[in-house]
Amino acid sequence: MSITDRVLLNNHLRHEGLTTVSHDWTMVKAGSLVEKQTLVTIDADATVEDACEVLLKNGITSAPVYDNSKKMYVGMFDYGDLMTYILLLLKKMDVALEDQSMEMRDLIQRTSRSQNVPVKLASDLSGKDPFCTVLEETRLGAVVHDFGTGIHRVAVMDAGGNMKGILSQSSTLDYLMRHLSEYPQLQPVMQKSLQQCGLSNGRVLSVNGDEKVLDALISMSTNSVSSLAVLDDQGVLLGNISMTDIKHIMKNLRTSWLWITCFQLVCKIRLSQGVESGEDQYPVLDVNAKSTFGYTLSKLQATKAHRMWVVNDSGCAVGVVSLTDVFRVLSGLIDTDD
Amino acid sequence: MTDAALRLMDRHNVAVDKIQPLAVACLELIESCLYRRSLYLMITASLAYCHRQIQTLLQCKIITEAEVKDLCLKAREILVEESNVQRVDAPVTVCGDIHGQFHDLKELFKVGGECPKTNYLFMGDFVDRGHHSVETFLLLLALKVRYPDRITLIRGNHESRQITKVYGFYDECFQKFGSANVWRYCCEIFDYLSLSAIIDDRIFCVHGGLSPSINTIDQIRTIDRMQEVPHNGAMCDLLWSDPDPDSCTGWGLSPRGAGFLFGESVAKPFLHNNGLELIARAHQLVMEGYKLMFDEQVVTVWSAPNYCYRCGNVAAILEVDSNLNREYRIFKDSDRSSMNSRTNPQREGPPDYFL
Repeated sequence: MSITDRVLLNNHLRHEGLTTVSHDWTMVKAGSLVEKQTLVTIDADATVEDACEVLLKNGITSAPVYDNSKKMYVGMFDYGDLMTYILLLLKKMDVALEDQSMEMRDLIQRTSRSQNVPVKLASDLSGKDPFCTVLEETRLGAVVHDFGTGIHRVAVMDAGGNMKGILSQSSTLDYLMRHLSEYPQLQPVMQKSLQQCGLSNGRVLSVNGDEKVLDALISMSTNSVSSLAVLDDQGVLLGNISMTDIKHIMKNLRTSWLWITCFQLVCKIRLSQGVESGEDQYPVLDVNAKSTFGYTLSKLQATKAHRMWVVNDSGCAVGVVSLTDVFRVLSGLIDTDD
Repeated sequence: MTDAALRLMDRHNVAVDKIQPLAVACLELIESCLYRRSLYLMITASLAYCHRQIQTLLQCKIITEAEVKDLCLKAREILVEESNVQRVDAPVTVCGDIHGQFHDLKELFKVGGECPKTNYLFMGDFVDRGHHSVETFLLLLALKVRYPDRITLIRGNHESRQITKVYGFYDECFQKFGSANVWRYCCEIFDYLSLSAIIDDRIFCVHGGLSPSINTIDQIRTIDRMQEVPHNGAMCDLLWSDPDPDSCTGWGLSPRGAGFLFGESVAKPFLHNNGLELIARAHQLVMEGYKLMFDEQVVTVWSAPNYCYRCGNVAAILEVDSNLNREYRIFKDSDRSSMNSRTNPQREGPPDYFL
């Protein structure tokens, strides 16, 4: 066990919530994980640009869409949907060179005015993340199973059909890591290497650092992935572009960022993040085949990333561990217990 | 007794057994001075050259690529002799991140006193983000070459090839010199910078923080530092870690993706076991310029006022006197820098590496 693993293991065992009673993590109720949440919703008739404002203002990547006339939730709106919407329209439009630096808001305004698309039509556009609901009483074991199939978040509803909150892959991971000491059943898998978990290599969808951002976004959309590795000519990992990075483009409201290179975008995002938080982040978030599952989860939790790239000794990306992969492994544990 | 001294005594018919040890020492000194006289002229010429270079850099003007190469060669010779834990004598003024904010560095010298009148210790992150990373780093390097015992430079996490490619220094070098050569020379120098410093064996200075692989200062001395900053391990941790005042439970992974977070339960034993009274570090923006933690045993010093020309923070320097008394001096951005942020709140044109 490396020093890092030993340190983290000791850390988890010393964490708050220490108890001698062993709990079954699969039996935790979904409702308990969203108890303190303030729900942010988007009106179904709002414009797409207003919906973006809501996401940006609240620092979230998605929000449920509520239709007042139907008195029900009709979907989720997230950055993936936004990008798909813009790309669809950009593909149809020939954006003139002088328009390439216009404000994103104006672009959306223009496209949505000409197309008249309210949010309710734009939501779930990407098709990747359908709107899923669970009850407060639903056990975590079932939710984790859904997460393992690629669903990024579920809406937790009470018996009366009211939404209590959104439970995401990230917040679930955070919960499990904070309470790891209460769930000794999870500890054996934490010490397995990524290789042993079958996560150390796999298809790496990537883009060269010199390719344009717009092309990368189109590639992501076509391949139905939410992230691409940004590589140099030797295949060395330089950084990554994901759908959630779009918020940085939106924040600065410049469509000109669609036409810069992917590496330049990685730099701009890092520069922006560093000033906001007062601390600069490492450009690449990676692990290697020998890293433990537990270390990978700790790093995902600490960096709030949605994936860790698996690199070899030369720094080339050879695989990826996404939150979906993590939950697939955890879900697999339940099946074996049965 | 040296051969030279013997020859000298021979010339003057002085019997070896009759001469006093002190006199011998004097003779040796005179002989070495005569020998060094020929070097004297070379040294003064070199000093004048350094002085000119410093004057050029102080005006925020660029020196030539050839001069940069030469400066780096000279600097390397000095830095290679330094320890991973460079010993520094008080009094000294400790400074945090500068990040290419050249005019604010000059402000710092106004507030703290010019070098070499004031001794300085800079805790890294000289480059990236600011508009004048090149001038900033070269000035500090020129001062180091001219006054090697009056200024100490230790490595920050931004003194790295990978980081400078993302955060601006590489682009600035390319824009100002037309090629990547200057960037390469500087990155080679980064590899020679010390990892940390210790003032009178009591105040430990490092850019980031502590490492779970390091329990004693001596362990730091065993690191092979002359390489690019690794992605993990002790050397990386020293430059990337952060103290976590909200946590007492030891170590945690850093949200930065490199290094660790360390709590009071890690910092205090480290201080105690190594006979230290303070850990001074930088690495994190502090709006008030400096921040004390863990019962004032760890301090973050941040020396880039109005960071990125827009954060609105003040900067600080830590003055340590010969009795190890500490005083923090706060300063704001210089008028030149303020003008910069007022006229260009959201720059669109070059330098476009800067956000």
